[in-house]
Amino acid sequence: MMDAIDAAVGLVEDDPLFARRRARAEFVTGSEACRHAVLTPADDHGLGPALRLALACRIATLNADAALAASYRAILADTDADADTRALADGASALPSPLSTIARQADLVTTHNPSASQADIAALVQVGLSNPQIVALSELIAFVNYQCRVTAGLRLLKD
Amino acid sequence: MSGRIRVKPLDWVPYIEPVDVTQAAPRQREAMQVTPSSIGVSPYVRTLAHDPESYLARTILFNAIMYAPGGLPRADRELGALGASLVNGCPYCAMVHARRLTDLTHSDDAVTALWHDRPDLLSQRSQAIWAFARSLSSTPSSATPAQILALRDAGLSEADIIDLIHAVAIFGWANRLMHPLGHAVPASGKR
Repeated sequence: MMDAIDAAVGLVEDDPLFARRRARAEFVTGSEACRHAVLTPADDHGLGPALRLALACRIATLNADAALAASYRAILADTDADADTRALADGASALPSPLSTIARQADLVTTHNPSASQADIAALVQVGLSNPQIVALSELIAFVNYQCRVTAGLRLLKD
Repeated sequence: MSGRIRVKPLDWVPYIEPVDVTQAAPRQREAMQVTPSSIGVSPYVRTLAHDPESYLARTILFNAIMYAPGGLPRADRELGALGASLVNGCPYCAMVHARRLTDLTHSDDAVTALWHDRPDLLSQRSQAIWAFARSLSSTPSSATPAQILALRDAGLSEADIIDLIHAVAIFGWANRLMHPLGHAVPASGKR
């Protein structure tokens, strides 16, 4: 069965690389389980699916992964995302609180992780995020960065 | 080359209050695999236990990628992890995986060469892994088909390269947890 990574890389079931990915079945099933855990968790700590999809789209775009960004955008289109959440997905920085602070953290950790500091976590606390929300947000940001590196690497092995 | 490098242990201190094991919810305890009376669960695990679902899923994936038998030798996975950790700016992760690399190879040659910014002193194979790991870690990735060719020339199979991609990628994740959520301090000595 095709998964999100196959779709973003452009792999179909008769590609040799599709089968070679499955030689490490636990990487494939593990990546899918993680995608569910950060995008559609059973307990989302009040960070809803539309917000999570918008952030994933934004982070994939920062990684110049157009295919992955488009896949997140397509799922986002099927949600009841409001205008601010759609703007978040599109990379806007002029957003209401707490979205502006959440977006800033996603951008910082994606593009300048070495610069991330205690003050940035304090800013999330300041706009009202709980500790579970801060951890869930961090896992989501970091997961999409993982996914973008898998897709970028696999694309070099395709063809 | 002067100055052999001995990588000293560090501790990690979170910026938010970690989960108190004695107060943890059943799902958090399950994720931490501890009972309420347990002590000695690391601050990192207790911090991430605030969201047990992602912690559990990622730990299973991380262990598969770094410890699955066969395929790319573990030392090469650690070299990829170290390259990623330096680009991603996680000093704690870099310390841990430099030490693992030294342990697995029974040699501090690679870590010493890298500390002195002399990757040219590494083997052809390690140079190819190092260059690819660093390029794949940038945002966006700057890894190239020529780097894939260099890996193949150094003897890596396609399955080995798939293992390496995942080792680098999972540190694109781990480094983005450990560095933003806390900082490294000199080890206290108690373990």
